Amino acid sequence: MGSMDNTAKRLLQRLVRRIPSQMLKTTLDKWSRLTAAQRQSMDYAESKWALTEKLLAICEENELTVKHIAELEMIHVIENPNLGMWYVFQLMDPQDDAHSVELTQFKEQFKSHLSELIRHVSIKIKKHTDEAVWIRIAWGDTFSRPNHLKPTYVVHYLQTPYVFLTSPTSKQKPLLSQALVLSTRYQAIKDANLSGRKLTAIRDLLMKQYLQVFPTKFPSPLAERNCVVSNLHIEKEQAGSAANRHQMACEAFGDGILPQLQSAVYKLETKFRDHTNKTMTERDEPFKCVVKFASTNLLESLRHSASSGVTSTPVTPLLSSVPLKGKNYFVITDNGPGPSSQMKPSQK
Amino acid sequence: MFKFISGFSFSLCRYARDMERPQNSVARTPTDSIMAQRRSKNKSYRQSYRSCLGAASRLSHTPGWTARRLNTSRRTKSHNITEKVNPEDLALLVKTEWQLSYVTPLYQFRHTQLRSYSRQLSAFITAEKQQGLAVEVEGAQTSFRVSFSAVQGLGETDDDAETVLLQIHSKPVFAGKDEAQKLVWSGWLTCINGNPEYLHLLPKDFTCLPLFGSRGAENLTSLVKSWFQQTFDCCFGPLEINQTCLQWLAALWTNCHIESSIQHLKMIWTLPVEPPLQITYTVNSQDVWELWNSVRNPSLESREEEEAARSIDIEEVTRFMQGLKSHFYRHFRLDLSAGRLSQVSSALGSAKFSGRIKMSNSRYVLTTLTLLTECALLKMPI
Repeated sequence: MGSMDNTAKRLLQRLVRRIPSQMLKTTLDKWSRLTAAQRQSMDYAESKWALTEKLLAICEENELTVKHIAELEMIHVIENPNLGMWYVFQLMDPQDDAHSVELTQFKEQFKSHLSELIRHVSIKIKKHTDEAVWIRIAWGDTFSRPNHLKPTYVVHYLQTPYVFLTSPTSKQKPLLSQALVLSTRYQAIKDANLSGRKLTAIRDLLMKQYLQVFPTKFPSPLAERNCVVSNLHIEKEQAGSAANRHQMACEAFGDGILPQLQSAVYKLETKFRDHTNKTMTERDEPFKCVVKFASTNLLESLRHSASSGVTSTPVTPLLSSVPLKGKNYFVITDNGPGPSSQMKPSQK
Repeated sequence: MFKFISGFSFSLCRYARDMERPQNSVARTPTDSIMAQRRSKNKSYRQSYRSCLGAASRLSHTPGWTARRLNTSRRTKSHNITEKVNPEDLALLVKTEWQLSYVTPLYQFRHTQLRSYSRQLSAFITAEKQQGLAVEVEGAQTSFRVSFSAVQGLGETDDDAETVLLQIHSKPVFAGKDEAQKLVWSGWLTCINGNPEYLHLLPKDFTCLPLFGSRGAENLTSLVKSWFQQTFDCCFGPLEINQTCLQWLAALWTNCHIESSIQHLKMIWTLPVEPPLQITYTVNSQDVWELWNSVRNPSLESREEEEAARSIDIEEVTRFMQGLKSHFYRHFRLDLSAGRLSQVSSALGSAKFSGRIKMSNSRYVLTTLTLLTECALLKMPI
């Protein structure tokens, strides 16, 4: 029986399946667990099955274990963070020394706290080039070894209160929250009600790393990007209001390329108000409904809907809150947007 | 298909002249296509659905174009058909999503010949599948068994032809001898509460089953359609479920909430922005039912039984949708009318603009099929 047990083999198989052949070479090089000769011997034109067998043999030769394969997976995920769902959490109430927490301290503290909370857990921490700290956690419990096939990834940007998680289960979340809070020197952590498939997009949204447009006193309109001249008279007539709409749309959502958010969900619990419908307006109970906006790039769709007039301008705060507050889940009651709950809302 | 020849001196000629109306409805039939000649020897003809409606309404002095839309009023009685219809057939019909098409009337289709049709269609499919195989390999081809059956009890009037159910079973290529054949494709042809004037005007040899639903592999669906086209000289076409129809279904299903809980009313809209925006608007069942109730016309009947069988008018449906849209606008300042309703669903079923329908509750099958039969008849080219 070699060093590669069943889990390691399965993990490797899954990885080779997922990583496109062209990328496999660079990922393996980064991993640097293969000797030069072994790297040379890999023929990336072969079928995935053949590649898997080859790699398995090499791993046995080098006496690699599941922990090393987990490393390989981590490299792949860091290079491709836009697959799978990410959920954002926000650390609250920093203690005095929160801002001076640096990498080594965080790493040690996080590992020690989490290991105290769970008997069997496997933690790998890596600092990526752009100030992000990546953590891979394989969860076990009192009786079983860590399950490397269902890891949780955590990304934390030191000096910000934001933490990004993949697929946390309800059992793991409190333990993870505890460890994070203690190691970052904050007092609490809450659901930021923002989620999406693209880590880079939700990160950019939160850190406002896109072209924001601020209201100007001198309305020199931003030049229209797509000018489709249909009728000169209509264009002239509409020019003023079109420019106005465009300006307000950009103020609400930003200019240029916007972070790729896929959806926003609003849980409405407000009363029905319509002067043409007396019965419903007199009702005491709220008109409960859920509205979900979805698109390949939600912010661009919303911006276009505002600039084209589909959405009336000025843009309602419900929609502009998405980029402004960096959230995409809202509970709206008649008293204004409700406080985000501590429970993670289900995203459909 | 049909060859269009104008100027036949049949007694229905005057309807052709009546077609020369000032209105320019987009839905008009071409003026010289009223008379159609079949390619078979019998000189039969069919009158277009629209022209017959138009003529009839012209005789009664109402503008012809209103007849070329869906009925503006609908009965809402639910029907417990579980007693009347074979439970197996009903189980097949309900809880499956069907792709809809319209079919022009079938020439010389006999409900008594269903067995023969089963054999013919089996042979046709097997032959088509074998095309291209140079050598006949023993036992290596898939065998298809087709069965046509009439679904009795599904229907209300005597004018409607009986619904026909088609099923195709097959054994996969390398299955063992004892393995049972699996149902790989199913479909049905139906006419529920078809317009009686139109049905009466059809010549004797034509059977009108305008609504076709299918489920299964696309290649089998096209083979079935080809066979029908060849055998009964009919024509298939895709049936979209348009905005009005989807709104009707939203209202009809909500109306049933007291009797059978809809659990929620879900509507999906698509907006023409770049990139396209999809809005899913799901309303709690109790709240949407109260909204529906609040837009109903005041009831003229006071008796309880009549309540259940009250009809719904298009104005009520419009007010209902308007209420939903205005609540949405109040929050998002986005008018959903700028977009297109592409799907409506509830616990009672789901309907998509692309022509996919699912009826999850047997009580409302007839109401839904009545609406869809109407859509099919309207969509038929002639």
